[in-house]
Amino acid sequence: MYVSPIREPLIRGEKNYSQVTKDILAPMAGKPSIYWYLGITLAGIAALFGAWATYQTVYYGIGTWGLNKTVGWGWGITNFVWWVGIGHAGTFISAILLLFRQKWRTSINRSAEAMTLIAIACAGFFPLIHMGRLLLGFFIFPYPNTRNLWVNFNSPLLWDVFAISTYFAVSLIFWYVGLIPDLGTVRDKAKTKIRKAIYGFLSFGWTGSSKHWSRHETVSLILAGLAAPLVLSVHTIVSFDFATSVIPGWHTTIFPPYFVSGAVFSGFAMVLTLLIVARKALNLEEYITVNHIESMNKVIILTGSIVGIAYITEFFMAWYSGVEYEQYAFMNRAFGPYAWAYWIMMTCNVVTPQLFWFKKIRTSLVATFIISIFVNIGMWFERFVIVVTSLHRDFLPSSWVMYSPSLVEVGLYVGTIGLFFTLFLLFIRVFPVIAIAEVKSVLKSSGDHKKTAHHE
Amino acid sequence: MVAIGLLALLYGWIAGLEADRIYANLHLNSFYFVSLGLTGLFFVAVHAIAESGWQVSMQRVGEAMSMFIPVGGIIMLIVFLAGGMHHLFEWTHEDHLDHILIKKVAYLNQPFFYIRFFVFFTGWVLLAWLIRKTSRQLDMNGDIQYFNRLRKYSAFYVVFLAISSVVSSWDWLMSIDAHWFSTLYGWYVFSSMLVTGFSVLVIFVFVLQRMGYMKHVNEEHIHDMGKYMFGLSIFWAYLWFSQYMLIWYANIPEETIYFYERLKYFDTVFYFNLIVNFAIPFLLMMPRNAKRVYWVVIPVAVLIFIGHWVDLYQLIMPSAVGHEAAGIGFLEIGLTIGFIGLFMLVTFWGLSKAPLVPKNHPFYEESLHYHTNY
Amino acid sequence: MNKDYITAYYYDEDELLKGIRQMKEKGLEVLDVLTPFPVHGLDIVLGMRRSRLTRVAFWGGFVGTAVGFFFQAWVFTKAYPLNFGGKPFFAVPSFIPVTFELAVLFAAFSMVFAFLIYFKLGPGAKTVIHDERITDDRFLVVVNLKDEEAQEQIEKALLEAGAEGIKRNA
Repeated sequence: MYVSPIREPLIRGEKNYSQVTKDILAPMAGKPSIYWYLGITLAGIAALFGAWATYQTVYYGIGTWGLNKTVGWGWGITNFVWWVGIGHAGTFISAILLLFRQKWRTSINRSAEAMTLIAIACAGFFPLIHMGRLLLGFFIFPYPNTRNLWVNFNSPLLWDVFAISTYFAVSLIFWYVGLIPDLGTVRDKAKTKIRKAIYGFLSFGWTGSSKHWSRHETVSLILAGLAAPLVLSVHTIVSFDFATSVIPGWHTTIFPPYFVSGAVFSGFAMVLTLLIVARKALNLEEYITVNHIESMNKVIILTGSIVGIAYITEFFMAWYSGVEYEQYAFMNRAFGPYAWAYWIMMTCNVVTPQLFWFKKIRTSLVATFIISIFVNIGMWFERFVIVVTSLHRDFLPSSWVMYSPSLVEVGLYVGTIGLFFTLFLLFIRVFPVIAIAEVKSVLKSSGDHKKTAHHE
Repeated sequence: MVAIGLLALLYGWIAGLEADRIYANLHLNSFYFVSLGLTGLFFVAVHAIAESGWQVSMQRVGEAMSMFIPVGGIIMLIVFLAGGMHHLFEWTHEDHLDHILIKKVAYLNQPFFYIRFFVFFTGWVLLAWLIRKTSRQLDMNGDIQYFNRLRKYSAFYVVFLAISSVVSSWDWLMSIDAHWFSTLYGWYVFSSMLVTGFSVLVIFVFVLQRMGYMKHVNEEHIHDMGKYMFGLSIFWAYLWFSQYMLIWYANIPEETIYFYERLKYFDTVFYFNLIVNFAIPFLLMMPRNAKRVYWVVIPVAVLIFIGHWVDLYQLIMPSAVGHEAAGIGFLEIGLTIGFIGLFMLVTFWGLSKAPLVPKNHPFYEESLHYHTNY
Repeated sequence: MNKDYITAYYYDEDELLKGIRQMKEKGLEVLDVLTPFPVHGLDIVLGMRRSRLTRVAFWGGFVGTAVGFFFQAWVFTKAYPLNFGGKPFFAVPSFIPVTFELAVLFAAFSMVFAFLIYFKLGPGAKTVIHDERITDDRFLVVVNLKDEEAQEQIEKALLEAGAEGIKRNA
């Protein structure tokens, strides 16, 4: 297919196919670097903190958390929404960018999708742990029982159960189906019998037959077409947890698309944080180029701006509605006892992404890395502000109270961060981080030895 | 055809019914077609920023559609000044404002309203002119600096449109029901106009091809426009559902009254809206081949055009006119035909002002040899 | 494969496509083509028909929608109607999210399982790997060897069609 000569190449270094295979398989071979060991040790310690906190919660109960009657949802749900939001970038890159034919997604989709799966696992941990009687957790699924009871389909919390489960399941098969051919590559290049056997098993006997490839493409396309509305629906349903209520600051119709944009926003920030480090550590700079980073930054401007417009809209509409409770909710956010959280949120989410309008900043790796961290912090605070400030002072002043997390709650959060990085570091060693076959398929049209047009 | 359109415009006026209804219809149609112009330009702008290549062969149509913006703006202004303000907006009756409307006076007052009006139209017309001019300059000498300028103006336009379309829909549509509010409203209206604008663009491309122009537009391009129509219809339905379900669920009377009125007195219109704008595009445009052939794409595009007009009808009429006086009769149809005629006149005039095929655009070759694999 | 066949390999996908067209002109029967990534245009050259997997996905989604919607409706109107916040028993807006999720779930899983089962791919599947470099950078064409005598002719035809190398398998 014709590619205009003014487009920047997506793969540098004048690679051919076998070089691509070598480069991408390299991080999986040999002994891991000292940094990998350092990383996984730190992550492991964090995860242990989480394990302690889990034990405290399960053995002693939710009383070990800082929740109270007024603020019934605190760090738990904030973290849940934060993790689910982060997971959305992977599906966005895999599915929505595929539908928009953005070839630059090929170097980043595999790791982004893996990140999604890990993030959803971390997210799902919170609803499970907050249940109190964990062993009866299966009650949330509809199954015939002797009490003739069914789940409450009217509740957005239940819609969440279906949404998150479906999202995890579909993301898993989407990631895995894409991975099968690359696992075939790993199998064929495996040097030991055990490795060959394991990857042979995992690659499902992939042969590279054109009939298989053709149907594989169809399956990937349809999965993308399904995953795109799915990812929109998941964070929409998460937003319904809040928006279906009558609480000022929660009940507002803009929540669904605003939450979805926010999710993509924070997700891309996390992808950037991970990949800026990974591309250097794994010598993949010729595949994840500055161009890719810049494109991701453009998505951040877009989604960050949408979030910013949503903030302004909510604020304006609170005034316009004339509803004093709504007006107070926003006044309280900006000037009440949690104002510090609010202003961190505003600075990180509204101000910092706008810096990416400047090309120098967009193409600077250091700036991008710093801004991505700020965005993630800002988005955490956004969920915190939404949850806690709306709850701690709603309709009845006599119920107004403050909330702060207990060590156990902090431990659970830190634990999930530890779990996330542990799993991601393992992923790098066990699976190819970049979609080998997909990169090869765009090598001719978008690699840098093909600056002139190429016709089929 | 245009002559018939203009005659219908006069006829519609003479049909003389309730003043409220006439003003509401003029307002509806002028808003609708201005939005189409804005969306046509948005098509150009958003693809310029995304540096996509396939649409280049069709972008002149989007640019031409944007020429209607000032025309529609003038009509809107005349409608407002000639008494429309009092008939459409209850907050203009400054002497009997109830306790809710009084709180909104800082925003809902006529001077501020007109200032915003002028800010929007100035911005839109200026940016449209800049984009059109740069596009033509790019075509004349293919210099990359014009391409970069086009991207810059497109970025300004997209940002400006994002804010202005939301605020303008509050001013011109939501304030008709000044007691009600919804934070999603601006985006909902925008999504409605987006899908219609893209559908109308396809209809123009079809007409031009029938007239013998635009031979380089092939089914690959139509496929992509079909995908837009399919996807954006689903997106619109998603926003519709979000707004409706959240208000239904919380059941707060000051919010539900909006839908209660519509379901009680305008239910046919209400459901028609959903079926034509969601169910039909969703089902008919799902098969891959359906998106590639004119005989599916164009009828669906026409249906989308009609359907979103009806969407706008159920946004405006129940509050502006009320259920006793409202209806769909000669006035509505005649006036709409008149506006269609006017819009076509302006767009075709706009098309004649620039070469239909932007040969020197850096992505033009890509657009010519365009072939998707899915 | 239990037929006799010859394989020819290429290092470039455009050469591959050209070569296959030439092979077909010469009357060679192409049994399969194996590539490291999907080559565009290959399905047309090989005359593959449109995949029926899209239909599987559609009907899977349809079943998911029906199951989701009617199950919820049954639970809330027949099995155990309860008054939740004054909402009607047949609460259509409430049913939509779960219905949608199940539609997507069923569509995705039915299609993926159909794909894997149809091609007999799965953990522990026994497939023939013709050449370990297929998943690296080699494009393989498998041509039918109808009879022993024709072998020389076929090999000559393959080399003329631009193949970089030939392998004989029985």
